[in-house]
Amino acid sequence: MSLGVSIAALMRASLLTTMRYRASFVGEAVMAVAWAAWTTAPLFVVFDQAPTLAGWTADEALAVVGFFIIAQGVLEALVDPNLRAVVEHVRQGTFDFVLLKPLDAQLYVSLHRTEPLKLVHCLVGIGVVGYAADAVNAGPVELLSATLLMLAGLTLLHSLWTVVVSSAFFFVKVDNLSWLIRAGLDAGRWPVSLYRGLVRFVLTFVLPIGLVTTYPALALRGELKPSTGLGAMVIAVIFAGVARIAWTQSLRRYSSASS
Amino acid sequence: MIQVTALNKVYTVPKRGEGLWGSLRSIFSREVEEVRAVADLSFSIQAGERVGFLGPNGAGKTTTLKMLAGLLVPSSGERVVAGFDPSKRDPAFLRRITLVMGQKQQLLWDLPPIETFALNRALFGLDEAQAKRTQDELIQLLELEPLLNRPVRNLSLGERMKCELAAALLHRPDVLFLDEPTIGLDVRAQVAVRRFIAEWNERSGATVLLTSHYMADIAALCPRVIVIAGGALRYDGPLKDLAERYGGGRKVVVRTRDEAPETLGPFVREDGALVARLPSAEVAAAVDFALRQVAVADLSIEEPPLEDVLSKLFAERS
Repeated sequence: MSLGVSIAALMRASLLTTMRYRASFVGEAVMAVAWAAWTTAPLFVVFDQAPTLAGWTADEALAVVGFFIIAQGVLEALVDPNLRAVVEHVRQGTFDFVLLKPLDAQLYVSLHRTEPLKLVHCLVGIGVVGYAADAVNAGPVELLSATLLMLAGLTLLHSLWTVVVSSAFFFVKVDNLSWLIRAGLDAGRWPVSLYRGLVRFVLTFVLPIGLVTTYPALALRGELKPSTGLGAMVIAVIFAGVARIAWTQSLRRYSSASS
Repeated sequence: MIQVTALNKVYTVPKRGEGLWGSLRSIFSREVEEVRAVADLSFSIQAGERVGFLGPNGAGKTTTLKMLAGLLVPSSGERVVAGFDPSKRDPAFLRRITLVMGQKQQLLWDLPPIETFALNRALFGLDEAQAKRTQDELIQLLELEPLLNRPVRNLSLGERMKCELAAALLHRPDVLFLDEPTIGLDVRAQVAVRRFIAEWNERSGATVLLTSHYMADIAALCPRVIVIAGGALRYDGPLKDLAERYGGGRKVVVRTRDEAPETLGPFVREDGALVARLPSAEVAAAVDFALRQVAVADLSIEEPPLEDVLSKLFAERS
């Protein structure tokens, strides 16, 4: 109960901060749609030339892009603003105040500075996925497993982010690392099976962006083996555990900026 | 309420070379240096006490406060605060303490202070009705009413500090760690903060451990002081004894109607007046003696300035 109250209060403060700067919901919505159009445009160019690409039809590839837009929305709304805020906290020593609150510090820094309006991107992404799901005739089972995989993918993104934040206690200026995650995610707008060799390996196992975009799309096509889906979720849980350890270890090392 | 035994904190800091070449070299061969911030510190503070924690810059005051608040892990030693080991950062512990830092702020910069209050009420899981009562009490005591709805960034430093105090006390902690709460404030704001701390201590019975470089804060607030220098304890006891022991006694100044003699009993002529520095027990006799020996035009007895007392104490080698 009180956890819900805490999260709601953090969200409220973020929303109020955003509104102070007169960011308008309508403006953000227009931007989100324009951005989605820009992101999907290459698909139309490519599929204008060929009916399929490495076994993916236009509609199926559109689902990948839809999941990509959702992930990007989450990144912009929740992940990036928090990362910038944590780096600032560590640099200025105000991270002390985070540690003085009786709320799990990892949860706190994951939610304390968000840009809720950016979640509009997620809505647009869900729209795109919905359109694609309809086009490939996905049933409830496919939708459910796609959603679960998407959540596993987001857990993974959050774990990567947590590791980056943990490293902030050692290196302080790490906000540039978020660009690395972002560049990696950018590769996820195409199905992973399009890539070859090293890049494919990296996108599947090292920076498993494929898990965020391609796997849910495969699930939507009904082509994901249950074992692969389960494996993906296990990987997500392992990553979350590793991230938790990295976080608690680096907290112990935290020595806060001097007075 | 606070029990500290043989507390130590050693930082390892990387030694950086000088200049560009030195910086480059230190990337490859990292030399570290050990800095002992707190050395074998022991003291205990009873519930409800107001204690001044004094020392020169870099003495280890902030490091100690942070160890007591659970923000830093000591290298060795024991500490118990409100019955808890601070390192565990138990939520029940965090609900019983607070830390206010004059140089850092927790207020949400773009929002009015009332929003930070609302956030803290939620984060501490406070009972809404009781928290509102505490909040109203704080607003009234600190005279925050006109500030509540202005964005923090538009407030003055003094106004912000008053709001910081309110935000830090909403959960009615039993232990207040105040790290230079009056730093940079003008005299009026200093007085307001000082009065508030005394008032809150009396109302809530909370224990206060306060650091400050303004001796007026200490003189007004802290019957007891703990002095550290170089991380080690130098003095722990009543403030008034500190002046007695290290201040070289009280200064008695006698201005005479006629020209003062070179010396007179314990007095020596300084700038045309007779001056003696004496332990308080001998002051009355000396004054009596002077009144009988010379025609007195004016007489004053001064406490040694705390600043002088402390700089003497800080300078002393242990």
